[in-house]
Amino acid sequence: MGLLQEILFGLVTGSYIAIAAIGFTLIYGIVNMINFAYGEYLTLGAFVGLLASTALPVPLPVAVVVAMVGGGIGSLVLARGFFTPINQTGPVPLLLTSIGLGIALRNVIRLVAGRNARYFETETTTVRFDSVPDLSVGPVDLLGGFFVTTEQLTVVGAAVAVFVAVHLLLTRTNVGIAMRAMGDDEQLARVRGIDTQLVRDSVWILAGVLAGLAGVLMAIQTNVSATTGYSQILQILSAAILGGAGSPYGAIVGAYVIGLVIALSTALLPSGLTGLSTAAAFVILIAVLLVRPSGIAGTEVREA
Amino acid sequence: MRGLDRLPTGRGNRALLVGLGCLLVGGLLALTPLRVQLPSALYVFVEVGIVFVIYGLLVLGLDVQYGHTGLVNFGHVVFFAVGAYATAMLSAQDTFAGVGLGYPWPIGVAAGVGAAAALGFLLSATSIRLRDDFLAIVTLATAEIFHSLFVNLEGLFGGNVGILGVPRPIASLVADGDTRLVATVFVLGGITLVTLALLTRLTAAPYGRVLRAIRADELVTRSLGKPTTTYKTQAFVYGAALAGLAGGLFALYNGAVAPGFFTIQVTVTVWIGMLLGGAANHRAVLAGLAIIMGLRLVSRFALTVTPISGDVFAAVRLVVVGLVLVAVVRYRPAGIWGNPRELGVDR
Repeated sequence: MGLLQEILFGLVTGSYIAIAAIGFTLIYGIVNMINFAYGEYLTLGAFVGLLASTALPVPLPVAVVVAMVGGGIGSLVLARGFFTPINQTGPVPLLLTSIGLGIALRNVIRLVAGRNARYFETETTTVRFDSVPDLSVGPVDLLGGFFVTTEQLTVVGAAVAVFVAVHLLLTRTNVGIAMRAMGDDEQLARVRGIDTQLVRDSVWILAGVLAGLAGVLMAIQTNVSATTGYSQILQILSAAILGGAGSPYGAIVGAYVIGLVIALSTALLPSGLTGLSTAAAFVILIAVLLVRPSGIAGTEVREA
Repeated sequence: MRGLDRLPTGRGNRALLVGLGCLLVGGLLALTPLRVQLPSALYVFVEVGIVFVIYGLLVLGLDVQYGHTGLVNFGHVVFFAVGAYATAMLSAQDTFAGVGLGYPWPIGVAAGVGAAAALGFLLSATSIRLRDDFLAIVTLATAEIFHSLFVNLEGLFGGNVGILGVPRPIASLVADGDTRLVATVFVLGGITLVTLALLTRLTAAPYGRVLRAIRADELVTRSLGKPTTTYKTQAFVYGAALAGLAGGLFALYNGAVAPGFFTIQVTVTVWIGMLLGGAANHRAVLAGLAIIMGLRLVSRFALTVTPISGDVFAAVRLVVVGLVLVAVVRYRPAGIWGNPRELGVDR
C-alpha cells in the first residue's frame, strides 16, 4: 500500500478524533477539568445510535441525530450529577471523579450490552484510483493506487461541517461568545453578568452532542463495544493537549497530527511492531508537553 | 531496664519491630524444616494477602508522591511493571519468550529497583514542573507506552506471554505448598512493614515537613529558600523505586511476568485505596487499600454462592470501585482517617 493511502486513513482517523477533541477541549477550557470519562460518552453515543438504527429502525442520518441528542442529554445529566456539585474543588478532584465515573460507566455498559462487538450496517461504495503511478523512495512508496469509501468521505465531511458549526457558534452566538469569555477569565465573565452555570451547562451539552456524533462515526469505521470510546480517550486527550488545552482550533490541528502520526507509523514501522503506532502518538504528546507545554495555540500549563 | 529504655516506642518503630518479627517468622519457615498447615478456607485470604502486601509497597510509594508532596502520578503501574520486567529479564532461566539472562535473583531485584528509579528520575526531570493534572496525563501516557512496548516487542519482553521461568526463591526453599504461602506472606509483609517504618521516619523528619509544605504551597516553600524541584524529584524517585521493589518481589513470587498483570487497573486500585484511607497517612493508606482489596475477597465468595457468571461479577465490582472513588472524592476528600485540615480540603 502506498503512503498516499495511509495518509487518507490518517485524515479519516483525525476527523473523528477532531470532533471528539473539540468537545474534550471545551470542557477543559471552560469547566477547567480533564474529563477522563469522555471516552465513555462516545461509547454511549455509539450505542444510542446503534439502538436507534436497529431497534427502531430509522435511517442512519436520523440515528446519528438521535445519538447526538442522546449524547447531549446524557452529558448534561452526568455533569449535573457528578461534576457540578464539586466544581469549586479544583482540577485534581474533578479528574479523579471523572476516572471513577469512567470505570463505572464502562462496566455498566458492559453489563447491559455484553462483551461482543456489534456493527453498524451501512452501504458503502468504494472508489478506486488504481492508475496513480508508484513513486518509490527506498522501501517506501510515496504515491501508489488508493481507494476511498463513501463512509470515509462521510466522516471527513461531517468533521468539516462540525468545524464550521463550532466556529460559527463560538463567534456569532451570544452563548458561544460567553463560552470564550469564560474560558478566558471566569471571574471577569461573571462580573459582566454572564450566568456561568448556564454557560457550563451548555458546554456540557455541546460536548455531549459532539461525543455522540464522534462515537457513531467511530463505530461506523470500526465497531461498537464497551471499550469503543475508552480505546480512543488517550488519542483524544493527546490531540487536545497537542493543540493547546482549551483551544478548539488547536484541537482540530492536534487531532489531524495524531491521526497522521498513527497512520504513518503503521506504514513505516516494521510489520511486527505496528501495534506501537498508538504509542507513537503518546510519545508525541509527551514531547509536546516537554518542549512547548502550551501546545500549538494554548496557554501556559507549567506552574514553576 | 536500660535495654528496655532503648526499645523503640514511636509508631514507626513499632512497625519496624513487627516487620522484623514477620521477616524472622518467614525466614524460619523458609529455612528450617518447620511446617505449617493451612485450612483450605484460608488459602484465598493468604493469596489476596500476598498481593495486598505487594500493592502495599505501591501505595506507600504513591503516598510519598501524592499524599505528602502532591505529585499526581497516575501511571504508578509503570514503575511496578518496569521493576518486575527488569528483575524477570535479568534472572529468568529458560524463558519461553523474551530475554532471560539467568543472573542470580538479588541482582535482578537490584536492577528492578534501579530501572524503576531511573525511569522515575527521567520522568521527573522532564515533567515535574507541569501542572498537577498534566503530570497525571504524562505519567498515564508513559504507562500506556510501556504497556504497548511490553506487548509488541516480543523478542525482548515476550509479548502477551511475558517472561516465564523467573526464579522463585521461597518456593525453591520450601517444597510444601502451605508453608510456602505462609512464608511468602510473612517475608513480603515484613518488607512492607519495614518500609512503612522507614517512610514514617522520613516523613516525620523535617524533610517530610518540607514535602508537605510543597504540597500546601510550592511558591511559599520556594520563597523560604527550599529547592522545591529537587525535593519533588526526590519524592518522585523514592516512590518509583519502591514500586520497582514491589515489581521485583512480585516477579519473584509469581515466577512469571506478563502485560496482563500491569494494567491501569493496578494504578486505579492503589489510588482508590490511598484516597479512601486518607492520603498523607501511611497507615491509613494501607487500611484503605485493604478495604478495596477486601472487595475482591467478597466478590470471590459471592461467586461461589450466586449463579451469575464471573464476568458479570467483575463488571459489578468495577462499577462499585468506580463509584467508591467518586463518593470518596465528593463526600470525604480527606479519606476515612485523613486529616482534612492538614490536607487543605475542608471547604
